[in-house]
Amino acid sequence: MPSFFLFNVRLQSGMSADEMLRAARRFGYAGICIYNEDEAIMPSPDIKLNLDPSIHTGIEIRTDSVPELKRKLRRYWSRVPLIVVHGGEEKMNMAAVKDYRVDVLTHPCGEKWERGELKHQILMLKYAARNGIAIEFDLNPVIKSRGSERARILRRLRENLKLIRKYHVMPLLTTNTRSIYDLRAPREMIALASLCGMEREEAIMALSEIPAGILTRRWKRGREVEQL
Amino acid sequence: MIMREKRRYILFEVISEGEVDKHGLQNAIWDSIYSLYGDTGASESRLWLINYDSGTGIGVLRCAHRTVEKVRAALACIHSVDGARTAIRVVRVSGTLKGVRGVRARVKAGALKG
Repeated sequence: MPSFFLFNVRLQSGMSADEMLRAARRFGYAGICIYNEDEAIMPSPDIKLNLDPSIHTGIEIRTDSVPELKRKLRRYWSRVPLIVVHGGEEKMNMAAVKDYRVDVLTHPCGEKWERGELKHQILMLKYAARNGIAIEFDLNPVIKSRGSERARILRRLRENLKLIRKYHVMPLLTTNTRSIYDLRAPREMIALASLCGMEREEAIMALSEIPAGILTRRWKRGREVEQL
Repeated sequence: MIMREKRRYILFEVISEGEVDKHGLQNAIWDSIYSLYGDTGASESRLWLINYDSGTGIGVLRCAHRTVEKVRAALACIHSVDGARTAIRVVRVSGTLKGVRGVRARVKAGALKG
């Protein structure tokens, strides 16, 4: 089996990164990527040195204004290994994917997929594919909801998945992990992804190759050379 | 015509805030599978909780071999049992009870823990 990586991990107070890594390894992950809120203190260089190499850190930018997003991107670019933008509104999604410095766009349709489907944001998907920006598929609402709400979420995920395939955007499977009780093993994630129509191979890619590529900036290298 | 359907035995581990009893776990599993696949889907899965040790949180489920992925998804959808936050990890799937027994001992001894 390939090496699986878990993105979108946030540490609640009282839990260390090492404890979370130990739990994630027990579930079958090779590494985790912890997102820090952008206003929160970034891990200092000393802490970073002590971290296990399987623990990756990134910054999540949450803002409602495009100029603010640009300002934060300038601030964090080249200072943090991974830049994630919390989407939601169309203008924010668009601004995020137009910028090659962004690595991942999270919650493009809201935290519970409540903002509809991506079919009105085709141009956004094209930019995401061109700039090598992954779009996060958060399965946490599928786990936490029941009944008609879950049916609505699954329908939206299914529609979005069709668009993601058509425009060759990279999906990233996560469960919005806040504690060890939010962890789901890779094979369970694959089974959950199959509920919204994702093929097994696609789900494996979204848990292994795509996260590994994001961490090694595989899709960014060409662009950086082009910039120079 | 094959009368006897193949079965699969799923060894799982419950990770929870509090102690989860067998009755609560059984209800949570059935609720989850009914909610995801409905009555017909749940009946096709031929699910049966063979044993569960609330002390260690390790148990064995039996299901039809065609529905292992469905049962996995249903187990992944369990997020709380009797109000306590819970995650269920599938440790091993086997065609025989004997196949999961050896692994069970290793999980108990902590050999399969990270």
